[in-house]
Amino acid sequence: MKNADVINHVKGTSLFIDDFPAPEGVLHIAVFDSKIACGKITKLNYDKVLSVPGVAAVITAKDIPGENQIGNIVSDETILADGEVEYIGEPIAIVAADTVENAKAAANLIEIEFDELPAVTDPREAYEKGNLIAPPQTFSDGDVEKGFAESDVVIDGRVDIGGQEHLYLETQGAMAVPSEDGKIKIYSSTQSPTAVQRAAAKVLGVPMHKIETDVLRLGGGFGGKEDQATPWAVMTALVSRLTGKPAKLILSRQDDLRMTGKRHPYSADYKIGLSRDGEILAYEATYYQNAGACADLSTAILERTLFHATNSYFIPNVKTTGISCKTNLPPNTAFRGFGGPQGMFVMETAIYKAAEKLGVPAYEIQKKNLLKENDSLYYGQKAERVQAERCWNEAAEEFNLQEKFAAVKEFNEKNNLRKKGVALMPICFGISFTSSFLNQASALVHVYTDGSVGVSTAAVEMGQGVNEKIRSVVSQTFSISQEKVKMETTNTTRVANTSPTAASSGADLNGNAALLACNNILNRLKKFAAESLKEDDPAKVEIKNEKIFYDGKETGMNWESFINDAYFNRINLASHAFYATPEVYFDRTINKGRPFAYHVYGTAIITAEVDILRGVCEIESVDVVHDFGKSINRQVDLGQVEGAVVQGIGWLTMEELVQNDEGKLLSNSLSTYKIPDIFSAPKEMNVKFLEDSENPFGPLNSKAIGEPPFMYGIGAYFAIMNAMKEYNPNADKEIRAPLTHERVLMSLKNLK
Amino acid sequence: MSNKKNKNLNRRSFIKNIGVGFAGTIAAAPLLKSHAKKLPEEIKDSLDGKVEVTVYVNGRKFRRNIFPQTTLAQFIRDELNLTGTKVSCNHGECGSCTVLIGSDAVYSCQMLALDADQKFITTIEGLMKNDELGEVQKAFVDKDGLQCGFCTPGQIISAYALLKKNPAPSEEEIREAMSGNLCRCGAYPKIIESVDAAAKLLKK
Ligand code: FES
Ligand code: FES
Repeated sequence: MKNADVINHVKGTSLFIDDFPAPEGVLHIAVFDSKIACGKITKLNYDKVLSVPGVAAVITAKDIPGENQIGNIVSDETILADGEVEYIGEPIAIVAADTVENAKAAANLIEIEFDELPAVTDPREAYEKGNLIAPPQTFSDGDVEKGFAESDVVIDGRVDIGGQEHLYLETQGAMAVPSEDGKIKIYSSTQSPTAVQRAAAKVLGVPMHKIETDVLRLGGGFGGKEDQATPWAVMTALVSRLTGKPAKLILSRQDDLRMTGKRHPYSADYKIGLSRDGEILAYEATYYQNAGACADLSTAILERTLFHATNSYFIPNVKTTGISCKTNLPPNTAFRGFGGPQGMFVMETAIYKAAEKLGVPAYEIQKKNLLKENDSLYYGQKAERVQAERCWNEAAEEFNLQEKFAAVKEFNEKNNLRKKGVALMPICFGISFTSSFLNQASALVHVYTDGSVGVSTAAVEMGQGVNEKIRSVVSQTFSISQEKVKMETTNTTRVANTSPTAASSGADLNGNAALLACNNILNRLKKFAAESLKEDDPAKVEIKNEKIFYDGKETGMNWESFINDAYFNRINLASHAFYATPEVYFDRTINKGRPFAYHVYGTAIITAEVDILRGVCEIESVDVVHDFGKSINRQVDLGQVEGAVVQGIGWLTMEELVQNDEGKLLSNSLSTYKIPDIFSAPKEMNVKFLEDSENPFGPLNSKAIGEPPFMYGIGAYFAIMNAMKEYNPNADKEIRAPLTHERVLMSLKNLK
Repeated sequence: MSNKKNKNLNRRSFIKNIGVGFAGTIAAAPLLKSHAKKLPEEIKDSLDGKVEVTVYVNGRKFRRNIFPQTTLAQFIRDELNLTGTKVSCNHGECGSCTVLIGSDAVYSCQMLALDADQKFITTIEGLMKNDELGEVQKAFVDKDGLQCGFCTPGQIISAYALLKKNPAPSEEEIREAMSGNLCRCGAYPKIIESVDAAAKLLKK
């Protein structure tokens, strides 16, 4: 059965923020932002703005009734710049008017002058200048120096990794509607309803109970609406509070591209030591994270880089250091993988380069060092229910790896101007928020008197199918048809203190909470059924396909009439339940612990073809064996893998963010920033489910899916490298992502 | 409500603005045909700088007075309240706003509503067969050709336009025809399957 959303989507009747019928008198907001990347504001004059017809308000920092602060982890982010600016696109003032056009035209009349200071956009330069978001963080295990001393081969190098624009097709947006007693309801396209509520309350100077956040659905999020949906939502609340009118803000694509943060670009140094036969003995890496101008979620993201520094390999001696560097770019933020992909990319580079040195294929080193059951991960967690080798071996077998190699070899021998390459990409991705306190969720389940069910959770639907999964959990638990279950909006008055829908954990946390709530109701119903049947053992009551059984025998009662009876007998048909992931903790004084409930494993085999004369590459095939646990919904999970792979390939092969030295984004439209189109999707994609994988931490034994498969995209980079090397063995001097067609061509010819 | 600013916006500068970034692949073809000659008079004659436009959308006739710079996408969404047509880039680069004019798929953000005067337009809402899903819509449901759903109306319209012209497209032809519609969720493999399935449904 499909989610009701799917039907609405194809009909064009599903609503996104900009589709909501606008309330009477709604004001439209234009944001006036900084045109320079660093400096002091010396003059800000908006006299002319107020004379524009239709303008209702101009708001600057001094008009903020509460605190001018929206920083989530670190309090370093103003909602409107106060005296100084730190990046191009930083909001300085907002104008509210009767139409979008009037608001924008009026905002253009604001007069501003700056004392401009030089901008820093490179993370290493920021580091040298001492511009850091937080003190560097180091994880270590074993003794790297000893490990390097014992190694037969030691190599080091540098890696530069580009960022990535989220490009959710629905741009950032929100609408605020005031009601009595100073209360404001914010409809937001956010992954973090509570973050919006908290920030709005702070900026407005009101208690959180005066702010209600409601989220129907997102037209894509990918992490870009985890922290960065907040400012726009707060602005609508601010206008609403100061004018008493409803207010709406939908960023234009250009504004969204310019003003919001992206996946963090990284620059990194690595050093790897191996025995002659390819066993990795020591690994050291330092990551310079380009955080942009404010902390946002950067420190947490950097920490996940460290957690995933060794990908799915066991390495006895490891030392990693993360440095979050403050630059004059929009604050970079969460994006699918949350720092993990950058960490894994550096690891894979080290293996790739080590393989060259040892004169063996990289996959031999990869395979040799895969995690095994009970291996200790270098942050202290024991690897359990490890599927690394199973996924690898099944992929090799299922997709005829040896034949693939032979075919590619033959192709390369026959062709001079087209070359193919194959790369394998194993993944191991930890599931749980690494800030352990976030691993909590609540659900509110209502069974109505006609037997239909309404479910509210903290999960936000953004296309990842979380609502569909929770609906399955509820319908399976009650054993009623899926149509009887409706997923409600995510709303802070129904479910409080929501953790963001992020870290791939939406279905795990909220599905488990919904399961608990259903079981509470089910237990009451069973007791009631036993009583009304004049039987004594509620445990013998069972509901199957909307029929009530006792001791295996039909009782003649069906779900609908039974629920109605229960109501008249004053049985509580609603339940609120709370779930917290057990056993996760991390001790930051020693950087050891058990931060993840479990890990997701998989292996992808990627084949790429390069046109030597043009530098054009094609991803010919992506073959995956992935550990889904016991999938709740195979179609949804399959879509997540396919989509993540396409996005991962986009990150590493075509999506190039370009800024000039003044910090201005030059790739500021879809014609200059290329995301994968339908031609860029691999010609062939095969995904095999690893069977018999159990996961006691996932609802109904399932596993999280959103982020892990993104990292299969890393294999595309090395498949292209391998193809290039078939033509020019020295083509891969520099490891710099994305490997755009242009860069492929230049590398093939060894040009800079 | 003030329209002062709108009156000042002249059409030529508007066209200049929307003309850039025309990444027009298949979906955006014969747009921007100019009404420049007859425009000034109409503006003069009509109240408040508005001009009259008549279009046939999903089989119904609509007559409205609009500002001349209104794009077809704005017109469909704001004047007709048909919000199934989405706007994402507003620059002719993503395909979210794709509608049919006659049997051609066009980017409605790249066309002035005036240029659609007297034309027959089909939006996603118009593909319904009374209360039933149309074949292409049904195929996208069957094959799960979507995730967040934001690009979906545009995808379905482009697929419909393709299948009207080419009832049995090859995979390559499907990719070609759908290449003007971006999907950030990356549902492409399933979109291809959906279009293929739609072709089979339409044949029945
Ligand atoms: S092409 Fe019209 S909104 Fe993108
Ligand atoms: S389904 Fe989300 S953009 Fe296509």
